[in-house]
Amino acid sequence: MWLQVVSEILKLTVFAGLTLAGILAILIWKKDLKTKITYMRFLVQAASMVAFYLLFSYTTELLLILAAIFVLSIFWGRLFCGWLCPFGFYMDLTAVVRKAFKARYWNIPDKLNKALDKLRYAILAFFLCLPFMLGPIEPWQWPLVKFLVGPFKPMSVLLSPVEPLVIPWESAVKLYGINLSYPYASVIAYYSGEKFALLSITIFAFLTLASSFVVRRFWCRFCPTGATFSALNRFKPFSWIPILRLHKVEEKCTKCGICRRVCPATVTEVYDRKGGDIKTSMCMLCLRCVEMCPYEDCLRLNLAGKTVFRSRNWLEPSKIE
Amino acid sequence: MEASAGKKYGVELPPKEAEELRKAMKTASAKLMNEYVERMRKAWPNRPKVMQYFDDVARFFDTRERELLKAKEEGKKVVGYTCMFAPIELILAAGAIPVRVACGVYDAVKLGNRIVPVEVCPVVRSTVGAGMVDLSPFIELSDALITALTCDGMTKLSEILSDKKPVWTLNPPRLKDAPQSTRFWREELKTVKTKLEKLTGTKITAKGLKSAIEIMHRATRAFKRLQEIRRSNPPVIMGRDAMLVNQTAMWDDIERWTAKTEELCMELEKRAGEKVWACPPDTPRVMLAGSPAIWPDNWKLPNIVEEATPQGVIVADEFCFGDRFLFDPVGVDEWTMEDMFNAVAERYLLPSTCPYFTSEDGNEDRVNWLIARIKERRVDGVIYHVFRGCMLYAIEYMRIKRALDKINVPVYYLDTDYTREDVGQLKTRVEAFLEMLKSRVEV
Repeated sequence: MWLQVVSEILKLTVFAGLTLAGILAILIWKKDLKTKITYMRFLVQAASMVAFYLLFSYTTELLLILAAIFVLSIFWGRLFCGWLCPFGFYMDLTAVVRKAFKARYWNIPDKLNKALDKLRYAILAFFLCLPFMLGPIEPWQWPLVKFLVGPFKPMSVLLSPVEPLVIPWESAVKLYGINLSYPYASVIAYYSGEKFALLSITIFAFLTLASSFVVRRFWCRFCPTGATFSALNRFKPFSWIPILRLHKVEEKCTKCGICRRVCPATVTEVYDRKGGDIKTSMCMLCLRCVEMCPYEDCLRLNLAGKTVFRSRNWLEPSKIE
Repeated sequence: MEASAGKKYGVELPPKEAEELRKAMKTASAKLMNEYVERMRKAWPNRPKVMQYFDDVARFFDTRERELLKAKEEGKKVVGYTCMFAPIELILAAGAIPVRVACGVYDAVKLGNRIVPVEVCPVVRSTVGAGMVDLSPFIELSDALITALTCDGMTKLSEILSDKKPVWTLNPPRLKDAPQSTRFWREELKTVKTKLEKLTGTKITAKGLKSAIEIMHRATRAFKRLQEIRRSNPPVIMGRDAMLVNQTAMWDDIERWTAKTEELCMELEKRAGEKVWACPPDTPRVMLAGSPAIWPDNWKLPNIVEEATPQGVIVADEFCFGDRFLFDPVGVDEWTMEDMFNAVAERYLLPSTCPYFTSEDGNEDRVNWLIARIKERRVDGVIYHVFRGCMLYAIEYMRIKRALDKINVPVYYLDTDYTREDVGQLKTRVEAFLEMLKSRVEV
């Protein structure tokens, strides 16, 4: 028994070590400062996808993971969405495909974007309240009620984005013996019934993938999971907690607008704000703005007051840190 | 839209008189350029050899004029621009040669006075005067001029110049932060793009624009590297020389300029390592702010500062004819045509700190820009240089002064005109200011 535990721990250690080595390799070898962080982020996202697969094969009590992430999100905001979420990874990969096609994204209007940000909380509240609202209803045989309530419904909705593409358990979609999954696929399959499961999953997958081909990070604008992470940071009494902050130095900013243009979540606050910490819950700390800001030390990512990443004059070939 | 026939402003000079005036002014200007280069050499005994190249380019009546003529014979087009708002990337991508045409010749001012009243900024009057007698090789060789309707002087200057050349106007929105301004500005640049394509007959493709952006990235890198070197304390390069290098970028072949500047930077970095300073360590470090000092004649102020006793050294300036010219790179997110175009458009509008702009907080970007430069270059004092007639810079003085008082940096307001008469008086005033800075340095 303990031998197995040791071997699992060893496996995880080797895995984490490989990821760290990959990050280090990118830090040293990737000279182009404009894409350094992006490459690193892709590596971390891929690693986290694998990590979630491994976690899924150990335990089905995934609620614990979500709870842990939620607690951590008090401290690091939506870092999860930018760097760890597998669903976000798919959408970033879609963007890579789009770039290969030289297609341009559609820039979502600022007002709509801010409205969608509020809508996320409505969606979240809706899913959290559903069981309490519909639980007392007697006729369980009604298909609609069955669909809306279900066992662990809110949890599975909240957990869905962390499902990696390949899952260890039996799934609705099976291709050459590999169990494929997609965020929210299990939820849809559970309630759609045999016949339509595959169809509705395909439609959902197509819709989200196709739309993230047009709008960068499409699903993130609706995602209830992301809303849970940013929920606490929205409230003033909690705003002092985050140890991970995006910080802007007022004097060094020339308002050149690059941060606003490159942001995959279409956050305008980094541009609009005069200086200081960026507090918006729309920001997922993907650090694309930090990477693209051409002014030395203007944008920073602070971890507990210490600067982890800072914007660099990316025209200068970087010196090894 | 075709410009209507007949000159709108033109005060015709008799051809003979114009020719005589042109010759006299050209000789005087060429002489003056030689003299100023000589003075710069004298003030800095161990001047790097590479500076010779920039001296040659600075004498634009010789080499650069011949080069442009030759390029024109080969069928290349030359596009002149008056303000920093003209998109150089687009001009390069269309296969034309960008040159800056605003003028710094004192003698031409008197001619310009015949058209423009003396209350107007001397840069405008000088450019008008130079246009009247075909003095500036850059105005003469341009196939079209891109002007920006910034201050009133520049707006009317573009009208006056349209008597001579086709003028394409750009209309920068006064509130640059608003989203509709960015949209409007994009449309403005699209119009210019179409006109450029029509003039050169070359379509601006994604590939061409990308390589143009990359050329300008390299130039910006060299430019920024030089400005980084100016941070060293004590300085390794005299301010006038650095300013000359900055200004030559505006009419030189940009790729050759980049190579030479990199070479200069290499030499200077070596000197910094060997601790070979350009001037004594306690020399007051001065920043020039306000209206631009334009080569050749308007080298008055830099000359005074660096030849005064006690000597000062210019470590930064805030001129669109200097430190600001290539300060901001074009940040392209995705290399599609549209994104590249947006990136170019935003680069020319948003980071600009021209006093033409305003916002709810006033022109705060400019204050921030100044403070950031003052801190990074360790500036001891600012000389606020204003042309008589330059309203925007003159009005903003009080705002800048209050902001700089807060960080305890002395500012000195210096208003002047395109004239050599006040050199002695200015010298006394600048020397008093430098004396004061020096005593502060010692404390």
